[in-house]
Amino acid sequence: MEKIILRGRGVLPGIVEGTALVCPKGITGWGGIDPKTGEIQDWDNPNKGRTIQNTILVMPGSKGSNGWSCYFGAARAAGCAPKGWLFSAIDSSAAVASAVMQIPTIVDFDKDEDPCSRIENGDYVRMDGTTGVVEVTKSSQRQ
Amino acid sequence: MRLTTEEQAMLDGEKGRLVQTAMENIVRYGQVLGAQELCKITKATVFCGAHHYLEVCDSEDFHEVFTRLNLARDEVIPFDRTSPECYIQSCVAACDQFVYEPLNQTEEFFKKNQYYVEEARKAGVTVVGSCSPYLTGWIPVRGEHFVTTESGVTILGNSLWGACCNSDGIEAAFWSSICGRTPKWGYHVQENRHATHLVHVEAPLDSPIEWELLGKAMGMRLPVTVCTPVIVGDFKEVDFVKLKSFFTALAITTNCRMCHIVGITPEAGTVEMAFGGHEVEDEFVITQEDIENAYQPLCDKTEGKVDLVSLGCPHYDIHQIKKTADYLKGKKVHPGVNLMVWTVYPVKAMADLNGYTRIIEEAGGRIYTSTCPVTVGETLLKDYPSQVYDSLKQSGSVRSLPLEQNVYYTDMYRAMEAALTGQWKEEYRWKK
Repeated sequence: MEKIILRGRGVLPGIVEGTALVCPKGITGWGGIDPKTGEIQDWDNPNKGRTIQNTILVMPGSKGSNGWSCYFGAARAAGCAPKGWLFSAIDSSAAVASAVMQIPTIVDFDKDEDPCSRIENGDYVRMDGTTGVVEVTKSSQRQ
Repeated sequence: MRLTTEEQAMLDGEKGRLVQTAMENIVRYGQVLGAQELCKITKATVFCGAHHYLEVCDSEDFHEVFTRLNLARDEVIPFDRTSPECYIQSCVAACDQFVYEPLNQTEEFFKKNQYYVEEARKAGVTVVGSCSPYLTGWIPVRGEHFVTTESGVTILGNSLWGACCNSDGIEAAFWSSICGRTPKWGYHVQENRHATHLVHVEAPLDSPIEWELLGKAMGMRLPVTVCTPVIVGDFKEVDFVKLKSFFTALAITTNCRMCHIVGITPEAGTVEMAFGGHEVEDEFVITQEDIENAYQPLCDKTEGKVDLVSLGCPHYDIHQIKKTADYLKGKKVHPGVNLMVWTVYPVKAMADLNGYTRIIEEAGGRIYTSTCPVTVGETLLKDYPSQVYDSLKQSGSVRSLPLEQNVYYTDMYRAMEAALTGQWKEEYRWKK
């Protein structure tokens, strides 16, 4: 199986691994997920209906209103948090959400290592939130 | 991160567990951003009330819910103080200040909301209940650092007032209100406030809805990432209502949190001043056709009966309520139509004083305070199959709810006509 290594800025520590859920256009926070299940509700999100729970969630950054972080925080409180997450470039809403989630977080990748384009749904990801190293095992059967 | 002696003392717990936790979260937030230091916050709006997303925490105790959701801790830390140096107002709550039956809510939920708001008041938050904190005097000045839960206020404060704010979030606004700090990063740093994108507006903009549609049209062209556009054009008769409409629409259709307007906003006397020597990342033109194309998907095409007409997002000021009363004077809302006008309590009191409330009520409408249709949510909206809004934000947010109604969006006068006739007609669609 093909493996690739991506490097970003590790900002919240911890080593986790799991299946990638990639949202290249992000997720609308306010109303974009059902915090009770972690299910994506965005009407125009290709991952609509999938849950963020226990995934390695990959997004470019936040999206939409200032109420972005609280829906992820509510998902955390409901036990539906991802295992870890990657942001192509950090922004203030995504940083608040990371501080709330307290899950391994890696941000600020070079453009040619953008996780939103290098990782696909179903890839297996191991991430180290201290070193910022992301190890991706490409899935042969993409979802 | 460099902390001052006072900040380090807060982090060490010298001001109690609540302040310590808020500071721990602010420091962690700053570390994720890569901030080197914090800055003092002197104005804040916070999101108080029994909002629906809080229901994931199954507890009768406000402080447990507050700790788990807003402080992200699994212990119970009473929310019993805020920074005395920070002017803090509450944003919209989940209920009207006084009534629950017209919003189809139960007394039990209304009392729960009151309990949540009252606990915040006891902690030092002034209960206002508005997305438009400036209506009650909350106006940060140029260079002042503030936090807000309202995206439109973030962009308005940065752009029009030259004050400094990032879009951080509901939790972070509480943390900052408690410890009086936020990471010095993004728009809190002068060097980051320059324009990145140049937008030439060729469309003639007259009414507030046309300014809202400019926001939507720009959202269709700007990148999804954070950017700072500057708009330039032959703008005439610009006023605050048009600008608050524009910034609110821009805030929900883009990730912009600052937008310069050449000749109007303080950091954009000229295009060159707005860019401050930085490169123009992209440049485009917004035409009248772009404005019209932005409008079309925002308003349903089906003609027919109307059940709900809602005015006031952002919350109306007293002059907008006066215009509403002037238009409705001596007229009658069609039977079966619920005409709702949304504002903040002191403006409602002024409307009472000036007789506007009486005129609106005699016409069959009613003024509500402290919340809005989409914040109340499905409880209210599920019973109205056909709804008319004079707000891009409100109508767009209603469309995202898992309900199947007709949603119409137009200017305030055409919306009132729909309330009077009880019908949605083609002629009520916005057109130049």
